[in-house]
Amino acid sequence: MERKFVCIICPNSCQIKVEYENKTIKKIIGAQCPKGEAFVKNEIANPLRVFVGSVKVTNGNFKLVSVKTPIPIPKKYLKHIGKLTHSLEVEAPVAIGQTIALNLLNEKIDLVATRKVNKIIN
Amino acid sequence: MKITNNHYDVVIIGGGVVGCAIARELSKYKTSIAVLEKEDDVGWGISCRNSGVVHAGFNYKSGTLRAQLCVEGNQSFAKLCQELDVPYKKIGKVVVAQKKEEIRELKKLKAQGEKNKVEGLQIIDSAELKRLEPNVKGIAALYSPETAITSPYLLTIALAENALRNGVSFFLNTKVKNIVKLKNSDFRINTNKGEFTSSYVINSAGLYSDKVAHMVEKDKYRIYPCRGEYHVLDKNASWIINRLIYPVPKAGTGGLGVHFTPTIDKNILIGPSNEYIKQKDNLSTTSQIMKLLSTETQKFLPLISSRDIIRSYSGIRAKQAPPSEGGYWDFVIEESNSVNNFINLIGIESPGLASAQPIAKRVVEIINKKEKLSPNSNFNPLRKGILRFEEQDKATQKALIEKDPDYGEIICRCEKVTKKEILEAIDNPLGVKDLISIKYRSRAMMGRCQGGYCLTRIIELLREKYHLNPQDITLKGEHSSLLTGYRSDEVKIC
Amino acid sequence: MLKEKEVIIIGGGAAGLAAAVACQEKGIEDILIIERNAYLGGILNQCIHDGFGLEKFNSSLSGPEYAQKYIDQVKEKKIPFLLDSMVIDLSTQKEVTVINRQGLQHYRAKVIILAMGCRERTRGAISIPGTRPAGIYTAGVAQELINLKNYMVGQKIVILGSGDIGMIMARRLTLEGAEVVLVAEKLPYSSGLPRNINQCLYDFDIPLLLNHTVIDIKGNGRLSEVTLAEVGKRGGIIPKSKRKVACDTLLLSVGLIPENELSRQAGIVLSLITAGPEVDERGQTNVPGIFACGNVLQVHDIVDNVSLEAEYITEGILDYLQGRISESQEIKMTLGAGLRYVVPQKIFTIKDTIFSFRVNQPGKKKTLVFEEDQKLIKKKYFPRVNPAEMLRVKLSSSELKDINKLKVKLV
Repeated sequence: MERKFVCIICPNSCQIKVEYENKTIKKIIGAQCPKGEAFVKNEIANPLRVFVGSVKVTNGNFKLVSVKTPIPIPKKYLKHIGKLTHSLEVEAPVAIGQTIALNLLNEKIDLVATRKVNKIIN
Repeated sequence: MKITNNHYDVVIIGGGVVGCAIARELSKYKTSIAVLEKEDDVGWGISCRNSGVVHAGFNYKSGTLRAQLCVEGNQSFAKLCQELDVPYKKIGKVVVAQKKEEIRELKKLKAQGEKNKVEGLQIIDSAELKRLEPNVKGIAALYSPETAITSPYLLTIALAENALRNGVSFFLNTKVKNIVKLKNSDFRINTNKGEFTSSYVINSAGLYSDKVAHMVEKDKYRIYPCRGEYHVLDKNASWIINRLIYPVPKAGTGGLGVHFTPTIDKNILIGPSNEYIKQKDNLSTTSQIMKLLSTETQKFLPLISSRDIIRSYSGIRAKQAPPSEGGYWDFVIEESNSVNNFINLIGIESPGLASAQPIAKRVVEIINKKEKLSPNSNFNPLRKGILRFEEQDKATQKALIEKDPDYGEIICRCEKVTKKEILEAIDNPLGVKDLISIKYRSRAMMGRCQGGYCLTRIIELLREKYHLNPQDITLKGEHSSLLTGYRSDEVKIC
Repeated sequence: MLKEKEVIIIGGGAAGLAAAVACQEKGIEDILIIERNAYLGGILNQCIHDGFGLEKFNSSLSGPEYAQKYIDQVKEKKIPFLLDSMVIDLSTQKEVTVINRQGLQHYRAKVIILAMGCRERTRGAISIPGTRPAGIYTAGVAQELINLKNYMVGQKIVILGSGDIGMIMARRLTLEGAEVVLVAEKLPYSSGLPRNINQCLYDFDIPLLLNHTVIDIKGNGRLSEVTLAEVGKRGGIIPKSKRKVACDTLLLSVGLIPENELSRQAGIVLSLITAGPEVDERGQTNVPGIFACGNVLQVHDIVDNVSLEAEYITEGILDYLQGRISESQEIKMTLGAGLRYVVPQKIFTIKDTIFSFRVNQPGKKKTLVFEEDQKLIKKKYFPRVNPAEMLRVKLSSSELKDINKLKVKLV
């Protein structure tokens, strides 16, 4: 197998070609630094991504608070987590970095807030 | 809701500019009137999809109804717009010749116009054309000072609102299925919303007037749809022309040629093309015609660039002249010979807008001859539209905000439409909730960003006012939901 | 009543906030930010994805987090701002009319900073033929509806244009449970950042069709179908390539246009290429005392550069306020091969100057060359260039010294 990647680690956007069989890497061409090599190794073995999404807020100056996983999670869970955010709800106020959900899918996936939401008094 | 036992003296089928003008004209008399309109709002057919020109009347063969009613309509249009608080500007028009042989055509048009009693027509030379319209390419022109512009949809809405206020009932979303002449000589009109009965039926169904006529009298008329496409230009290009710029019309086509229309709102329209099509509801624009519009623009106004285009749309003419023949047949405004009290309006294409009021008067005359209608002493000819904040001077603007802070919130940034105006448009007398109706009434979403800034805000205002679910917000009519629902589960309606 | 201000900033988004903070840090006290929304931060509020701040803060932030860093500073420094307030008039004399629920207010400032951002190009502007059903959105409007208003715009989505917002929305909609059928791009290369192609499209097996565009739209109420076609080498449609794609939503990510309606009013000369004001080495427009930064000046691809640009122009603003600008002879700038534009367009005085560029087409192993006649002034090597990525190069005052003409080219 052969796959081409664009490294997403830094703005250099190295175009890296990887030759591999099953999950064993045979050759990496085009990475300008070790980070790029590490990135493609991960991409073949277990690609990780930061999830970003939204969660409903009640009584806030925004209807939604944006959330993310504090660390990258396995790519395969992204859609599941997306679905789960539909049924979450949090009460304003919300601070940046506040934990919104813990241990989703029993996979130690947490969500933290990335928006400040003020409480509005009706 | 089923409507039963709905009897009216007159049922008007079709809420276009002509149907609404008839409704208003009839409401000057003691009669009960209903307008049945198949769409969610008035004016969604031909009436909102034309150049908005109040023609002077020199294009039409002398002695025809089209010539006669157009001139009559042109002369009384300012008063009508004043009564109804509808914008109107007599900006004049030039028909531009680019070849020597076209000058002969200009002279013919002038002579025809004079015969039709159009005032002020002059042939001008290239120097005078240059003075009037420095950016137009041409060697001579016919100048018509009496040609004016209006807002065709605002006029239709205003006529409807004034008619409503004077007692006319409007049934929107009401599509006529069939019509039966009963033994007592009344009509029974079956619709998707139930039955109506009436003594008179006025067939003002525009593109579908042949179908409606066919319901009582087989195969008498046929309407051929003839589409015209337009481009709308950014207001930043409005300085390029001062008046309506027309080419010399070509014989045997379905329209007056691609022309350039300054609109009431300071955009320029380029178009319409003319193309006979098969389906009466095919409002597509096409790449072929877009190219043609560009070519025509280059011929007359090379300063206009495709960068200036902010939107394209099309309208459809209701033509009686078949594609093989082209050109124009005269308006039909008459009671059916075989079905008493059934009045047909057929082939009302251009200049239908200019002629709407005189057409309405003709229809009332037909009924009056038979019924001796007595005047409605409560008739009020006046109607107020939505006050345009942007058009007011600074002192008035200040006073308005002080009186109502909703004037202090600009919702549509391009057209500078305030929250107050949008709320008034949402709370319109006909109770129409579609986004396009709010657009027509308020001008919001008509500017260069096409709702990029204000759409979400208007959705929220609309939901608040009518307690709508997200999926109930429609752009234009049935099955035109803008949103598929909430992003996340939510049962609460705000 | 005319209220006097030292600096008025029109727009409280990324550019306006950074400019305000930088002005204050330079000792300018009398500042006013005017923001039309109910909150500061502008478009960053709806950009909930991460990747912001890699350069400024050395971490990957979401849009709201990035904005909050500046909002906190504005509040800490007690820089005054107006919310829900829109500037409706701007004059050459630097008089500003603001409208809000309190009424009309008139200001006059010594310096105006234009920071109004940009708007999206629409279907109308690119003249896609067809009907006009519901379900056609610019990517940013869809983003606002989903990320700020909690609405869903559709279930089966085609995206035209591979701008960054379009690709970000492809991922967003996928994660929200919609099906993104494909992304079509008219050009032979994407107009977005390479890493977005990777993490927004390829991660979810969303095809990116280069050299493809939408040539017809069908649907009377709601959108039901678009026709896709391949674009030939000369820009024409290849007839055999036409195919119909069923969908209920078409998102457009076909370009951003700097929002310069107020600039026009004030008689500011706009560039035909950037659609932003033509500025000098200080970010000053042709109207003395009116400066521009951020997307109103040129559309950026990275918000960090917006902040940097905003901070950069405050040096010139301070010079202006302290009467230190003495205009000398204009240095004539010319644009050579390979470049679409350069900002600033003009240079009057010699100072350390940051130049921003966009290239015409993607390329590898390119060198940006600054020269006077044939004399080399400076060169900078780029392993890879891409029209989607703005290039920024600083020339020091010593490098610019004694120059009468400056030519820039990419070789």
